[in-house]
Amino acid sequence: MTSRAIETERLTKAYGARPIVRDLTFHVDPGEVYALVGPNGAGKTTVIRLVSGLAFPTSGSVRLLGADPHQRPEVRRRLGAVVEAPAAFYPYLTGRQNLELHARLVGGVRETRIGEVLEMMELGPSADRRVGVYSLGMRQRLGVAGALLAEPEVLILDEPASGMDPLSLHLVHRVLKVAAEGGTAVLLSTHHLDEVVAYCSRVAILEEGALIDEVDLRDRRARYRASVSDVHAARVLLDTQPFVTQASIRGAEVVFQLTGPDELPRVAPVLTKARIDLLGLARDTFDLRAYYQERLGDRRRPEEPPGPEQLTGSPATERAEAAPTETERAETERAETDQAETERAETEQAETEQALPRGER
Amino acid sequence: MIALLRMEIGKLLRLASLRFSLVLLVVFPLLWAYAPGVFEVYGFYLVSGFQVPALGLLSGMEFLLPLLVAITSAELLGIEMAFGTLPTILLRPVSRSRWLLAKLLVAALYPFVVLLFLLLVSLAAGAWFGFGPFVGGTGLGEAGILGQGVMEPAAAWTEIVRAYAVAAISLVPISLLAVLFSVVFMSAAGGALATLGTLIVMKLLVVFPLVEPYLLTSQLSAYVAPVAGLGWVVLLIAVYCTAFAVAAVLLFERKDF
Repeated sequence: MTSRAIETERLTKAYGARPIVRDLTFHVDPGEVYALVGPNGAGKTTVIRLVSGLAFPTSGSVRLLGADPHQRPEVRRRLGAVVEAPAAFYPYLTGRQNLELHARLVGGVRETRIGEVLEMMELGPSADRRVGVYSLGMRQRLGVAGALLAEPEVLILDEPASGMDPLSLHLVHRVLKVAAEGGTAVLLSTHHLDEVVAYCSRVAILEEGALIDEVDLRDRRARYRASVSDVHAARVLLDTQPFVTQASIRGAEVVFQLTGPDELPRVAPVLTKARIDLLGLARDTFDLRAYYQERLGDRRRPEEPPGPEQLTGSPATERAEAAPTETERAETERAETDQAETERAETEQAETEQALPRGER
Repeated sequence: MIALLRMEIGKLLRLASLRFSLVLLVVFPLLWAYAPGVFEVYGFYLVSGFQVPALGLLSGMEFLLPLLVAITSAELLGIEMAFGTLPTILLRPVSRSRWLLAKLLVAALYPFVVLLFLLLVSLAAGAWFGFGPFVGGTGLGEAGILGQGVMEPAAAWTEIVRAYAVAAISLVPISLLAVLFSVVFMSAAGGALATLGTLIVMKLLVVFPLVEPYLLTSQLSAYVAPVAGLGWVVLLIAVYCTAFAVAAVLLFERKDF
């Protein structure tokens, strides 16, 4: 059994009577990239600080590589983190000297490692300049370099791409992706939803310190949609294939999920063999931004004054009390899309029929 | 721990307040050694290089030296807050108590650095007067600056070194108090101001004779006249230092960053 890299159980942090983080339970496994998203003030930074051991929980627990980071600070030998934006360093030292200082604090860092991480973050040419003259983006990249210094098993980053230009931003996300592929567990908070979709495993949406939704993007990444000559036949056919986990019809397209992205080349031959024309094939991109806005919008929608049906436990009351699960939401989303697609198709068909000469209808 | 201490000493040497203090400590003895109005104000003439170090202590221990020590010690932690480096450092596999202990040790060492520097500059400033036998006293012994006959250099050295060592020891709790307050307020300015405020209040408490021997401020003149013997001074200062250091570590251990 794989042990959890990060695990929180009913994590709560309050300052006085004001809760900042509420009953937060989540975990990050080795090789996963787990993103915390949410509006400003949602509690993302506090979660990052609690998990990395900088702040103490009011109640609940945090386990970092199976240990309490407060009771066993040595576990941080296997942790790399950036919790300040921009990352904080001594401005009178050069980038290299700052990393040397951190290497001494960590202990056991390979001699060549400092040069490696500086090159990795494209800071080689400016490594011997004082950090005081670094730009915001350079400091942030140096922060990521510092986090990678001890070849950590867990990376925790608060807004790692803050203040970065698009190229630096891409670089940081690429480095994090590679780290995760190498087995490192990555926990990050971010507002860059588009980047998150590209490589994060799971996304937690926070609002007012509470986890309101968790989306598994790995499933979404292997989902495709195909335009075919016969959607019903294609759905039945794909549903029986061992490399397809699920197939459904959405309007004039068949949407299917593969067991892995590598299986995609097997789709076309199967359809062709069954004499189904493949007219188009594309990744069924998950719109996290729209999903995120909708989830937050649901929660922020002002409550209607209680009507008689709400007082008697009507469906409206139930909806307000219990936020739908991700699966429920996805099903609703799909049903709504399907209905819209069907209506569109019907309208198009009707228009086509009207346009055709009577004899050809 | 040695590595941490080396790091903290490196940071100490880069503090702006330390540089400012060193400049003041260079100017201070030079002004005293060659001030034209010393006789008019104090009724004596400087006749030996051994008398200049006494002037530095006699005038500095009242306010300037505690001020410089408090500011720099508070800045030891405050600078981490100013640069934002505190969380970054605490994320490394070093226990909070060990890290703060390194800062406390450097803060405890700092008064000795300051007074050693002041002594060296004072001796350099007094070199003009020479370091041979002289008629009078160092100003740091029982006979005061006017002395009792001829003073030999060996006796003068002993008095000066003893006085500077006691003065440094009596400044150590002030240094640790500044670190404690900078942990409480998480700012260098807050730490230094709270320390100075505490010292001022303590000075006012001399109106309570029962309390006076226990006051931190009462020990600041121990280098020349201990309130209740040198052993008492050392014991009391050890108690203060332990209390301030333990309080700082306990508070720091439970701080949220």
